[in-house]
This record gives sequence, C-alpha cells and structure tokens, in this order.
Amino acid sequence: MNGAWIAVLGSCLPAAQEGEDGVSFERVLRALREKVAPSVVAVEVDRSADPDGETGTGPVASHRDYYNRPKGVTSGTIVEADGFILTTYFNVSGTLREIAVVLPDGTRHEAALVGFDRSRDIALLKIEAGNLPVLPRASSYRQGDFVALVGRSPDAELATLNQGILSAVSRHNGTAVQMDAELNYGNVGGALVNLRGELIGVASHIRPREAWGQSSGVGFATKVSEVEKVLPRLKKGEKIEKDPQPWIGIQGGEGDPQYEGVQIGQVVPNSPAAKAGLREGDVLHRVGGVKVADVEELRAEILKHKIGDKIVLSVLRKVDGEAERKEEKIEVTLEANPN
Amino acid sequence: MIAMVMFVGMLAQEGDLERVLGEQRKLHEVLDRAVPAYVFIGGGSGVCISEDGWILSNHHVAGDAGRTWQVRFAGGRKCTADVVGFDPLGDISLLRVRDGKGLPFAEPGDSDALRIGERVFAVGNPFALGNGSWEPTVTFGVVSALHRYQDWYMDAVQTDAQINPGNSGGPLFTMEGKVVGINGRIEIRRFVNRVNTGIGYAIPSNQILRYLKYFKAGGRVMHGYIEGITLGECGDDRYENTGAYGDGVFVAGIEENSPGAKAGLDIGDLLVEAGGQRCFNANRFHGIVGTYPQGETIPVRARRWNKEKKEWSEFEVSIFLGDPSKVRAADTAMGKFELGFVPAFDYPDLGVEIDRVVEGGAAAAAGLRVGDIVVQIDGRRVKSPLDLKEALALKKAGSTVQLRVLRDGEALEIPLELKEAKTEEKSLPPPFDPKKLPRKPLEEVPPDRHREEER
Repeated sequence: MNGAWIAVLGSCLPAAQEGEDGVSFERVLRALREKVAPSVVAVEVDRSADPDGETGTGPVASHRDYYNRPKGVTSGTIVEADGFILTTYFNVSGTLREIAVVLPDGTRHEAALVGFDRSRDIALLKIEAGNLPVLPRASSYRQGDFVALVGRSPDAELATLNQGILSAVSRHNGTAVQMDAELNYGNVGGALVNLRGELIGVASHIRPREAWGQSSGVGFATKVSEVEKVLPRLKKGEKIEKDPQPWIGIQGGEGDPQYEGVQIGQVVPNSPAAKAGLREGDVLHRVGGVKVADVEELRAEILKHKIGDKIVLSVLRKVDGEAERKEEKIEVTLEANPN
Repeated sequence: MIAMVMFVGMLAQEGDLERVLGEQRKLHEVLDRAVPAYVFIGGGSGVCISEDGWILSNHHVAGDAGRTWQVRFAGGRKCTADVVGFDPLGDISLLRVRDGKGLPFAEPGDSDALRIGERVFAVGNPFALGNGSWEPTVTFGVVSALHRYQDWYMDAVQTDAQINPGNSGGPLFTMEGKVVGINGRIEIRRFVNRVNTGIGYAIPSNQILRYLKYFKAGGRVMHGYIEGITLGECGDDRYENTGAYGDGVFVAGIEENSPGAKAGLDIGDLLVEAGGQRCFNANRFHGIVGTYPQGETIPVRARRWNKEKKEWSEFEVSIFLGDPSKVRAADTAMGKFELGFVPAFDYPDLGVEIDRVVEGGAAAAAGLRVGDIVVQIDGRRVKSPLDLKEALALKKAGSTVQLRVLRDGEALEIPLELKEAKTEEKSLPPPFDPKKLPRKPLEEVPPDRHREEER
C-alpha cells in the first residue's frame, strides 16, 4: 500500500532534470519573491524638492525633470515587527508634508520620520502596526553572490523583483555593497536578498547628484550590519548629518609620467587650493613633508588633518622655457568639503 | 499523507536551490581566478595576460607608446607599467610592467567560439568606485550579439553585462575565466547621462591575438587593408545587380601588381569569405579585414564564373595586407623631406618631441632617439611641428641641417641629412569612380544565377 502511494507521489515530483537550470532558477526566484515580499512595503512621500539640496537640479540643468525623483511610490523594508520601516534618506528629504506606508495587505498607514543617517542614506519610519514580518539576515556574502532586489513600485500591491549579482562588497566607506540588479527611484529602499531570501541590505544611494543615475547596473545597498549599528540612535530620533571632511579642492589630472605625484587637472574655484594659489598643471608631491604618489594617497594624507589646519604642500611647477620644473612650497588652510 | 506531500514539495524546492547554488559556486570559483588579474589604470581598467606583466587596455585609457602609468592590481599592489604597442583605430594599448614577475594573469580565449546567450562577466571600475579600496566591480550578463561593426569597433562582441565609464579597457570573461574581449564602448542615452543602457561593446580577443606580436614589438600597429582592390556590394543597382545582397562583395576594380592581383583575383570575382568568416556585405568585409594587422596575410574564399562550363568555381587565395614599413615611412614625411622620425604633438612652447624613430631612416642614422626634443634647426628656434615645417621649407634635398636637441636635460648638436620623400608611395587605394567600372565580365553572368544558389 505504502509503496503504491510513494510511487504515485514520485511521479508527481517536478523532476529537475539535466539542462533545466533555467527552470530551477525561475522557481528559486518565485519562491524568493514569495518569502521576501511580505517584508517590503510601499512608501508614499508628499514633499517639495529642495533646489539646493539632494532633491534639486543635477549636473545637467536642462534635464531637471530627469534628475528630480519622479512622483510615485517608492519602497521600504520592515526592520522591526512593531512598525519600524527603513527607507532611504533621499526618499524622504526635502520639505516633507506627509509620509504614508502601504502594507502588502493593502492597508495605508500614516508614517512618522523618526531619524536618519545621511552618509548611509537610510531613514527610519514608524507606523502604528504590529506583528510585521521581518526578514532573517544573511550571515555572510561575497562578490559574485546571486542576489535579488524586491521593491514595491509603482503598484503598492505588486512586489517587483530585479535580479543580479553582488558586484563588490565594500563601497561608500564600507557601509554598502554594490550590485548590478537594476536600481531606480522606485525600488530604492527595497530589500536586497540572497538566494535563500536572507537580507543583505537595503537598496540605497540613488539620487540626482550621482553620476551612475538609475538602472545603469551600478546600484548599492546599505549593509544590514550598518543598519543595526545606527538603529538604536535612529530610534531615539537622531538625525545624523554627514561628518564634514577636510578638503583642499583639486581634481587629479592625467599624470605627467616624469614626476611622481598628483598632477593637478582642475582647481575648484573658491576652494582652499584656489585661495592658496595652486595651479592647473602643478604636480603636488608632498603634503606636510609626506610623499604622495597619487590622488588616493593625497586624500588619505589630508584626512589625517582637521578642518582649519594649515598644511604646507610641495608642488613642482612648470616654468616657461625651462625643461626642469621648479619646487614651490604653498601653505593651504583646510576647509570643510561642501560635497 | 498531507505531510508526505508537503515534504515532497519542499524537496522539489531544495533541489532547485541546490542547483542554483551550484551555479553560484561556479561563479565564485571563476571570480577567484579571474578578478586578481584585473588592473586599475588611471581612469579606466586593464587586464594582465602574462605572468611577467603584459597588460591589455583600451587606447583611449592608456594612450600611445611612451606613456608610463602607476597601475594597481585588484587588492592594491602597485606597479609601474609602460605602454609598448598601441592601435588607436582598434582602441587597444599593450603595456608592460617593469621587472614583472609572478603576477596574477588571465589567458585570452577564443572569441569566435562564443555563442549568443553565453554567460559572461565584466570586471571594471565604473565611476571610480573601486579607488581606495582597490576592489573592482563585477557585472554579469550574456553575450547579446557578435561581430558588431559600430563606429570604429569593427568586430565587437556585444554584451548586456553592465559596462559604464570606468570599465573601459577592462576584461570580458567567459565562465572558464578566459578573456574574450576588452570592454570599451557603450550605447548611452545621448544628451542625458553617460550610463549603461544594456548595450556594451568589447573588442574581441581573436583580433587582439592577431595584433599581439606587433604590439610587443612596439609602436603604433596599423590596420590591414587590401591594397589596389575596389569592392562593390552585391545587390547594388550601380553594379547592374550582380547577385543578391548577402552573397558577398565583388571585385569591381583591381590594380596591376597589387596584392589582390598577385594573389590571383580578377574583376568580377565574388568574395564570399574572409578570414574564415562569411562576408555578406562590404561592412562585414571591412570589419573582418580590420581585425588583421598590416603585414599579415588573410585567407579569402572567392567564386568565379566559368563561361565555358557555365558554372561557378570556388577557390581560396591568401592576400597580403600592406607593408607596415612603407606606411611608416610615409608617416615620417614632412613636406618634401623624409625625416625618419615622427613628431609628438604635445610639447607646446618647448620644442618638437620625437615620438618614434624609423629603423634605417635619416633620423636613426643621425643618432636621434625617442624622447629627444628638437629646439633649434640651423639656429632657428623651433617650438612646434609647424615651426619645424617652416624651418625646413626653404631647404634642399640632400643638404644637412644642424639640430639642437634636448636629451635628459643636456643640449646636443646633431646633424641630420634631409632625404627626399618618395612621392610615388601611395598608402591608400584610389577612390572608387562608378563611371570607371568595367562592363565586360558582368554581362556574362546570368542575371538570375544568384537567386538559384542557396545562401
């Protein structure tokens, strides 16, 4: 008797045969979406764009509309069962009038902005609801992991799924991972999960001023470990602005192969470098006596100082008509990086 | 009973997950082998293809021979690398790490063996996101199309693995960890922003492999072209409908003693394959030839109409693709003189830097070297190639001029003999003139013959 039943059940098994990888993948993604979607919500934000801030014009003034976040729902991820929802800082920046969260069951809840962390691009919302499903977190991840990004835009009742891989594990000062699943203004704030549906991070860092735009294959997610790090502070209502960094205001150029140092390609107007007299074409090779071979070493050296410090930069400057460059020592006062 | 069914249902899912995790594991393994060979170069990317440090990149990233770069391998290891050979048209530069030893590398693969839909991944540094941590970006996709002729990329692999500014010069890998392309161009949303739209182009590895020994020898590597043949495209009305579009290209004109004539081609021959690839139109033909450097020979399969037997015969020829030294000599002519050196154009106000010295030329005989900066000719100050031209304008062939050059900070006086430039060296075939198209062989081709043939 038992044997007959087992035989019948055996024949009903959807057999994963050789060459059916595509079908397996489809089934895994479908199962993933079902597991993850209940923890991803739609976030409706009624706000005015801030012309000088994150929401304002991007680098191309004639395409203002493209760079402003379009109207419509964006996404959020449930981080605690008693109504705490994480979305991105950019989604809720500007002059806010109302934030509402639409849960997967269709109910609409007014949400309060509790706290945010600008450099991690996350914002914490609170709604009056409980027993919300929270995703388990991924214990580990690495470059090359297959990942899925679940969002809820433009239809709050339909979870979307974009699929890709983890492109890198340490971006934005180590607070975010990078992935190539397409990220846009709608699904940012959604959940980035691995094949088992475990949370790796909350999709973030899509905003007008960034060069990578939307859906370019370059997207990010703030790591769960980073979220957990600041969650207690956010719950208390902390609004963590970016820590200002010391800055001189130059952009590296092509690099004169003859000289080791940073070839100055551009001096930012009104920057400390401009005020001190640094020029395009100068080769900056020492910061306060320490040799710097490229832009990264220059940046690392500058970050060892504080805003307001006076430091002496050694540059090799081209003199008209002479083959050799002349060494100049220029004093610069560090200011706060406005970017 | 219900428990059994549920258990069976879960088994099915676990099986699926295991298979996909297996695919993921394969990707992890190939990344572990491939990513270490990646190299950060300036604002773009490169890949190391040998243990002693030959690095491939795009020409628009690494530049001409003589450029030196501080490069970093994935993970941050710093090396100094010099550009040795380059091809601006094919957009490839080859660099060599100084004292390179024991470096991580990846092997070039066979780009002609790629299939559409095959999984590939790109390693790069879009938007300089990897700077500082020296962790490159990996994007994963498939081969979307092959043999794309887009602007000046003649035989590109098209992929949807996302490629963005900063990926240029970086490798496109197969799942076996072989480099099948160097990523270099993308289609963008014009006038909006420069980001990937799902279409990326990579220069195929087989093209690079053909050029490789010339790159290693150094200097600019010229593209091959078939001298002395004028081509017509089948199906074009101007050529009285010789065949249907897609059959091939045909020889509309041929110069005596040209490589094509010496190889055995004649007017009216239909060229159906070049380099083993079907060339169904002129674009594809030029695309194939462009993947061969000057100095190589390319196999061409052609068809000829036999009027007695009233049938096509098919045959193969090998055509020599232009002599690099002839073209280089033409490069070094300045006005009526052949100086034997090529001036660089980026030392304004100081002098004329010597970018390349031709072997056996006048400059080589005089002892001039790459990097020398010519600052005076016969006492006259020379600050640019234009000044150089003017200074030579009134000189006579066979005379000697005194050059003052700067070398390693020293000023040297070097006499240079002015050789006359040979004017009968033509470096390009004459432009096609439809009125000169010979009529004779075309009348003998039965007009509907091609339509009976199988494609």
